[in-house]
Amino acid sequence: MEENKKTSAHAIGTAALITGIITFVLAVIPCVGIIAIIPGIITIVLAVIGLTQASGDNSPLALLISSLVIGIVAFLISFSQIFVTTRLVRHTDKFPREIREAIKDIQDDVFKNLEESKVNIRIESNGEVVEIKAGTEDKEIKLKQLEELEKSDKTKNDTVPDK
Amino acid sequence: MSFTEHFFSAFRKETYITVNSSLAVIILMIFVYFAAFSPAKNNYPVTCIHEKLTGEPCVSCGLSHSFSLIIKGRITEAYKWNSYGMRIFLFFLGQLIFRVVFSYYYLAAQSIRKQLVIYDITGSAFLFLLSFYPFIDYLF
Repeated sequence: MEENKKTSAHAIGTAALITGIITFVLAVIPCVGIIAIIPGIITIVLAVIGLTQASGDNSPLALLISSLVIGIVAFLISFSQIFVTTRLVRHTDKFPREIREAIKDIQDDVFKNLEESKVNIRIESNGEVVEIKAGTEDKEIKLKQLEELEKSDKTKNDTVPDK
Repeated sequence: MSFTEHFFSAFRKETYITVNSSLAVIILMIFVYFAAFSPAKNNYPVTCIHEKLTGEPCVSCGLSHSFSLIIKGRITEAYKWNSYGMRIFLFFLGQLIFRVVFSYYYLAAQSIRKQLVIYDITGSAFLFLLSFYPFIDYLF
């Protein structure tokens, strides 16, 4: 019975050490480091269970303690990546790329639709009708009219006469 | 007793051999994983969390592509995907060799077991720092 307990604590310690080493390597890779939080917790839990079992009998603790230390360090490295990501998000105008791209797409669509559209506003009140027309088709005609008016106005003297 | 029988007996009894064998199998699985996924199809299940959140690629972006290309022997292309890919790949390859060689000597030369474990820890830690320094530097 005592031998079985020792073997169990030893097996748990070995499993914790292997998980801890994998977690440690995974934790220092920026792309996937955050994911290492989960195996980091598993390592710590395994090491703590092993230590609890080993403390009852006189089985060696070195393996379990080293697993616990590796697990805690790996977990902390992995956890620190949350702050790195937060810092990066702040650095890049607070908005993630996808949101920025979506806003830009919407802006472009709105401007394009406005340019192509013809807006007619008609207001009727007490028999009086006011109609406002706007659109790209009228734009050129109005520009021509403005140019013609400017040309004709050049001949006139619009200065205020001296008293 | 043959070496294989001796190895399986030690696998059950010796923690060092159990850990070494497990890590060797995991490293081999990593190599198989990167050989299975194609860089052309871009069908890797893991995507960069940093790039998703910030829109800017991090220092380890393109590492999966780089690994796959190294395994397929396309070294120049691998450097283009991630310049640190080769040193990380060499770390894992080195670790695979370390696990096999150290396990062999651990079983063969019982008088120098303690020294072997110390050499292994020191060598692996040095190799780890050398290979992963750009990532550690980027994180902190």
